[in-house]
Amino acid sequence: MKRNPTAFLKEEFDALVAQKLNWELRTLQGPSRPHSVVDGKEVIMLCSNNYLNLSNHPKVVEGAIEAAKKYGAGSGSVRAIAGNMAIHEEVERELAAFKGTESSLVYQTGFAANAGLIPQLADKGDIIISDALNHGSIIDGVRLSKADRGVYAHNDMGELERVLKEADGKYRRILIITDGVFSMDGDIAPLDEIYKLAQEYGAMTYVDDAHGEGVMGPDGRGMSAHFGLEGKIDVEMGTFSKAYGVVGGLVAGSRDLINYAFNKSRTWLLSGSHPPAVSGAQLASIKVLKTEPQHVKQLWENTNYFKKELVEMGFDTGNSVTPITPVIVGESAKAKDLSRRLIEEGVFALPIIFPMVAKDKARIRAMMNAGLKGDDIDYVLSTFEKIGKELGII
Amino acid sequence: MGGAVGLKGTDDVSDKALLLGAKERSGPRALEMLTELLALYHGKKIPAALFTCSNEMGANELEKAGILDYETVYDSPDDTSAKDTRLACAAFMNGKVDLIVFCGGDGTTRDIYETVGRKVPILGVPAGVKMHSGVFGMNPAATAKTLKEFIDGRLSAASAEVMDLDEELYRQGEWSVRLFGTALTLAEPHYVQVGKMCFEEVDEEAVLDDLAEYVTDRMREEGGLWLLGPGSTVERVGRALGVEKSVLGIDAVENGRLAGSDLNEKGLLALLDGRGGARVVLSPVGAQGFILGRGNLELSPAVLRKLLKMDGGEKCDKPDFDALMIIATPAKLAATPVLRVDTGDAKIDSTFDEKGHLLVATGYRSLRLVAVGSGND
Ligand SMILES: Cc1ncc(COP(=O)(O)O)c(C=O)c1O
Repeated sequence: MKRNPTAFLKEEFDALVAQKLNWELRTLQGPSRPHSVVDGKEVIMLCSNNYLNLSNHPKVVEGAIEAAKKYGAGSGSVRAIAGNMAIHEEVERELAAFKGTESSLVYQTGFAANAGLIPQLADKGDIIISDALNHGSIIDGVRLSKADRGVYAHNDMGELERVLKEADGKYRRILIITDGVFSMDGDIAPLDEIYKLAQEYGAMTYVDDAHGEGVMGPDGRGMSAHFGLEGKIDVEMGTFSKAYGVVGGLVAGSRDLINYAFNKSRTWLLSGSHPPAVSGAQLASIKVLKTEPQHVKQLWENTNYFKKELVEMGFDTGNSVTPITPVIVGESAKAKDLSRRLIEEGVFALPIIFPMVAKDKARIRAMMNAGLKGDDIDYVLSTFEKIGKELGII
Repeated sequence: MGGAVGLKGTDDVSDKALLLGAKERSGPRALEMLTELLALYHGKKIPAALFTCSNEMGANELEKAGILDYETVYDSPDDTSAKDTRLACAAFMNGKVDLIVFCGGDGTTRDIYETVGRKVPILGVPAGVKMHSGVFGMNPAATAKTLKEFIDGRLSAASAEVMDLDEELYRQGEWSVRLFGTALTLAEPHYVQVGKMCFEEVDEEAVLDDLAEYVTDRMREEGGLWLLGPGSTVERVGRALGVEKSVLGIDAVENGRLAGSDLNEKGLLALLDGRGGARVVLSPVGAQGFILGRGNLELSPAVLRKLLKMDGGEKCDKPDFDALMIIATPAKLAATPVLRVDTGDAKIDSTFDEKGHLLVATGYRSLRLVAVGSGND
């Protein structure tokens, strides 16, 4: 009998379903905003990375519309050939100025930035030293490199130093990569210490600030600004898909870095450039961050209030120091029950369970948002309290 | 030899099947494990078919725990011995069980391994004096948890060393633990994060292949003489090279070809004589994570001094740890988070204590720093 060439599609999908590891997609009927309609039900949105609600900011929406009118719906090419528009370059100039770096480069997505740039920074005979909890796009970028990979336990600076010591002398280049803000626990990397160690051992530093952009540091300039290290981290990578409220990857650093990056990154060279509407929205979003500090301020007011109240009720919010607020409940079943009940009550928060986190650390992950009003947060809190008691969590 | 029990999956769940064997003093530990297992299922029927042996080889403990739904496949005599363990295992194998659970120590493990080989995974409830083999749960309760995970279909098989005292040397007054083979046991599937909310289960076999490929690439790049230590992890390297590597002994490879097989101390010293050095590929063996001193006594202090370049004058104090290439899968490291050495030479042991950690390859080009020590600080 001839083999069935596509039988695996169904078989493997069925296996995922059996293990409950498959994704069931939910649909938003309308924009992603603090009050969203998900699968037909109005909910308070606690799962979005749209921290500042900029995706709905009139100036950002207008930026997209105007750019589409002026430049059309698509760019027609990759940037290296005929798809490099003035608006793409304008975004990069504006971004570098905002980040306090010499230069910047926009990729199609953050994932494309990590997958395209990391393998170009370290090759055979080099070593990439990576935090154990780094994002999957970093892991994939590292996989594409021919360099050795050393992993250090999450945020363990003692271990990072020991690995650096081992690597010193044995490798041509050393590249340290870390997330700025870790998206499961909402804790942050000690960039000051990492920078110091990197200086000491002559290592390059690469920070994925996807969740720090627009959130951390003055005006949301990111983790390097938070630590007073503007322009000192060798590669600051980030994304427009979260706090900026649009889409697109970004890299900020020296002119040398940017020249090297776009000449070498295959994901950048071989993939069509952003539609003008995307660039227009990015540009407007950076300008809003520069001129309207109230959004970042509101995000932190909401975050601090939300966390303080949760902890006072007796919830465990782990090591979070950012708007990413894990509510750790223990067993998977409990986290699922809590999420189900929250959604029933109109609060959209999803469970994070094993194997995403340890078996006894199942949680709800709530993301604070600048667009939530005091009443909204109070409703969320009272709902957490009610259901927390109902389920014996607090 | 004491009791034994067996279990087999009901239709709706799986056809998993298990056996439990117990030794004289291990009855209470078997009972503790079974009681815990029953509690994990909230006193409901365990969704697996159980096979056991009569009386104290299993049936007694099952009854005491209140588990009455089992089938006896071996009638044990009043006075049991290692022979009964083997016969019981043969009976379980005939019944095509999916797992053999037993109670005992290294001796029982060996008896079972000799009959079962790598055909069926084995899981030990720790109840012996010597437990160097990597097939035991931490304690009866932890073993029950592992068992439940297996019955529920969440565990996969992985290799573990069967180790025991070398009786011959023991009779000569020397305490030395030998590697007898690599059995199959249960392991947690190891997950790697491939995206924020996206995980892939890592196939242990695939990781072993990656490790072997990494080592062989390094061999090709660096050239020179390479020694391959014992155990199933390092055996993969031999397989990747296409050479006949002995599972339990130390072999030498140069230019992709076997340069010595199952070498003893003398053979190793002869091979190293007049050379600038060699690299040795080692993997932690047994439940305690030994990289030196268990299962590879051929790497004697004299051999190690040569390898680590501790045999010449002023360099003596600065061992060359680069001579060691340690490889281990993440699943194995999770079970033995500290590497141990017991070389029989206090000076060499203490250099490892001072170093405190070694880089261990855990996959293709993937390295992890792991603590190392002699345990006598
Ligand atoms: C830490 C981190 N890095 C990179 C990315 C990928 O960014 P993008 O959505 O722009 O592809 C994400 C988003 O999920 C992230 O959380």
